[in-house]
Amino acid sequence: MKVLLCALLAAVAVQCFAQSKLPKLQLTDTTLDNGLRVIIAPDHTAPVFAVSVTYNTGSRNEKPGHTGFAHLFEHLMYEGSENVGKGEHMLLVQNYGGSMNGSTNNDQTNYFEELPKNQLDMALFLEADRMHALNVNQFNLDNQRNAVQEERRLRVDNQPYGKSGEELEGLAYDAFPYHHSVIGSMDDLNAASIDDVKEFFRIYYAPNNAVLVVTGDVEPANVLAKVKKYFGAISRQPAPPPVDVTEPEHDKERRKTITDALARLPQVSAAYNTPPGNTPDVHALQVLGLVLSSGRSSRFYEHLVHDKQLAINVFAGVQERRGPSLFRVVAVPRPGVKVEDLEKAIYDEIEAIKKDGITQQELDKVRTQFLRAQIQARSSSQGLANRIGTLTVFYNDPNLINTLYDQVSAVTAEQVKQAAIKYLVSKHRAVVITLPAGRGSAAGAPGMR
Amino acid sequence: MEKRTFKFLIAFGLTTACAFAQQPPSAVDSQQLPSHVQRLNRVPVNPEILKVKLPHPTEVRLPNGLTILILERHKLPTVSFSLWIKSGALSDPKNMPGLASFTADLLRDGTGKRSTSQIATELDELGATFNAGAGFASNLTNINASGLSDSADKLMDLMSDIVLNPSFPADELERFVRREKTALVQARTNPGFLARERFNRAVYGDFPAAILSTTTDSLQKATPAALKGFHDTYYAPNNAILGIAGDITPLQATALARKYFGKWTNHPVPAAPATIVAGPSAKKIYLVDRPGSVQSNILAGGLSLRRSDPDYIPLEIANRVLGGGSAARLFMNLREEKGYTYGAYSRVSSNIYPGTLVANTEVRNNVTDGSLHELMYELQRLRDQRVPQAELADAKRSIVSSFALSLENPAAVINRWMDVKYYGLPADYWDHYSEQVALVNAETVQRMARKYVNLDRLQIVVVGDAKEVHTAVEKYGAVEMYDAEGKPVAAKPEPASGTK
Repeated sequence: MKVLLCALLAAVAVQCFAQSKLPKLQLTDTTLDNGLRVIIAPDHTAPVFAVSVTYNTGSRNEKPGHTGFAHLFEHLMYEGSENVGKGEHMLLVQNYGGSMNGSTNNDQTNYFEELPKNQLDMALFLEADRMHALNVNQFNLDNQRNAVQEERRLRVDNQPYGKSGEELEGLAYDAFPYHHSVIGSMDDLNAASIDDVKEFFRIYYAPNNAVLVVTGDVEPANVLAKVKKYFGAISRQPAPPPVDVTEPEHDKERRKTITDALARLPQVSAAYNTPPGNTPDVHALQVLGLVLSSGRSSRFYEHLVHDKQLAINVFAGVQERRGPSLFRVVAVPRPGVKVEDLEKAIYDEIEAIKKDGITQQELDKVRTQFLRAQIQARSSSQGLANRIGTLTVFYNDPNLINTLYDQVSAVTAEQVKQAAIKYLVSKHRAVVITLPAGRGSAAGAPGMR
Repeated sequence: MEKRTFKFLIAFGLTTACAFAQQPPSAVDSQQLPSHVQRLNRVPVNPEILKVKLPHPTEVRLPNGLTILILERHKLPTVSFSLWIKSGALSDPKNMPGLASFTADLLRDGTGKRSTSQIATELDELGATFNAGAGFASNLTNINASGLSDSADKLMDLMSDIVLNPSFPADELERFVRREKTALVQARTNPGFLARERFNRAVYGDFPAAILSTTTDSLQKATPAALKGFHDTYYAPNNAILGIAGDITPLQATALARKYFGKWTNHPVPAAPATIVAGPSAKKIYLVDRPGSVQSNILAGGLSLRRSDPDYIPLEIANRVLGGGSAARLFMNLREEKGYTYGAYSRVSSNIYPGTLVANTEVRNNVTDGSLHELMYELQRLRDQRVPQAELADAKRSIVSSFALSLENPAAVINRWMDVKYYGLPADYWDHYSEQVALVNAETVQRMARKYVNLDRLQIVVVGDAKEVHTAVEKYGAVEMYDAEGKPVAAKPEPASGTK
């Protein structure tokens, strides 16, 4: 989870440094007759390879009453298919020294594994078999429903501020695809049926709705031959129905205050509606996010955490989506500081940027930080494969792994200022204030200084 | 690391959900799989284990005693520096837990030449990352810096100034103390922290590894002079190892290290504290009351061994079988078979002092009893029954094969060789690791289980809502209760009505 969030936050590119500093990756990009898009990026520095299958489906495809379904489905993909027994997938990958996982977010679902280089057939066979013929039954559905509900308890219901993010998404989006959380509600999870599962599989888990990426110590011609062997016979399906993620223009700020029995300090969490990801304005906002909160010399850290000591932490950045995205700010006040005072100080920092812009020094600095992040994102074969899969499914362009850097590098200080003026305004804002339950108003934990 | 993950969760909420929690890979058997897990054996596998050798670093020793290990890897234009000071929390004075940690944290807050904000700006302008810490239950201070290889000289210049000439400014210490007092409060909202804290107290008693956080009192007493004292006493080249990995040649790396760490003066350093641990004398069950909790966080385990112990490799294999990953027995049983949890694992920790072997899971309140039952069953099974051949082969193969994956990260490779130095392992330890794994048989694994899974001295910790789960927990023995502040609680709670 963390890896993906970091990658999204880092999805800000910058030119400035010579292009030679970001080595260009060589990719092959092939589409099979059944519509499966195959991207191969070899790298022979370690005797491993990674496979990533990214399906063009996520919680955006869920209907009211079926929230959490895309993610529940992801769990069922490990429960067996025509030639793979229940749980055999993870036994094989782990017993042969590999690692694997799957993840679901609003806009995609991916499945991935990394193994020593002599196990390429295993990985491709496993992915092909479950794309071809998933085996679903009531026991597996009930069993994984339990696992998912425990995941919800672990990450949301049993964590301080666990529900704040969910509340904020609900406020920030009116359009249903992004209005509800990925993990979904307990009631909807309980309602999921075998027929729902079969239907979801038929519509979304087709070769023409997926991107397969292979990275690492492989020969592209050899990989492609094996991919054709294992995936070539899987039938194409009709294109899934389109999803409308259009967000109507908001005309005023939305606010909510919630109480949280597990939290001990308040939290302010804000989201501004922005255009879709990978657009010039969002690139400018990504640069702004780095200026505000990347590193201890960032404005939020230096001013709010260090100098004024209003906050114990503050984060800002774009939560990138294929559709309308969000510019998020989250902060926890220091004990004794009123949450409203911290909130105002955050807005003052944003207003300062709208008035005076950012400095050339700040721009140069975040460009270097971004260059570093782009390079670091290639450190593991798996991370790279997943990133290429996401760029391809989101924006239909695997080569963004090379060119995104150039695009964001073109962002100027003036564009950052104009983007702040245009998007970081109160009527585009949703705010959730979380207060510790039973601790009165916003003054923090009593007795704490 | 854990701290950072937590912050990101807070920062952007749950936008991604995964099939599995991040855990190291592991193994399971074919004969004794839970009934629903099924092997069809139709997937093409290559039976050959890829032979992989961990590349050796170049070793250099400066005249002042600093040991340097260098690994040249040009995949990416980046370089990482990892400096280990071989003293940390175990060297804290008794009345000031956290002093090693305060010292490490404050390094970057000013030197003779640079203010904290100058340091922050210079690091960020290099696109570098820097962190320094001295975690509890350890005797190490870790200082890491990494960045683009074309700024390697500037980065090491900055790093050496931070490490060698910290000024520990009083006003920055004051800010730090305020932040840490708040962090102490925040930590108590985290059920995982509450569980580990109680468990370490139970296992280690008077030994300093019992302590997992500082105290308000200790923060109150911290002075620049105390931090400077710790720094003067323990930060010495003869008490340190420097690892350099990435896009840099041994020649360049050595020249940089000489230039920036060559004048660091050596001096005698107090010996590491004694590492004899008595361990618990009897089985005990602790319940930490966390009102409103919708899950029970369960830990069960006891004392294990030192990193240098010859039992380490066979015990790692036993752990793989028990709970080392999502193909191991605990996961297969508690999640895949019973649906009690999102994850169930076990882990061996080892150090210069005896570490722990501990199983962990987080389960909804009304299956707390069932989960404890299954945990006990799996611990007992590992002791009572020989691991079937196929399951053992899987466990061993998974450990040896996963070596290939570790080669992707040069900083991780260099850390393995730094471990060899720090724990005093044989210089060719990683060259023979695979052979050592191959030698382990089912009898040895059972001997490990009987030696290190001691059910008569098992320490069980449950963090949860006491009125919901007390009845379940007390079935496993007399319950000792604590509140979330770590204080003992005498009264048994009234069970909630309608609780199963």
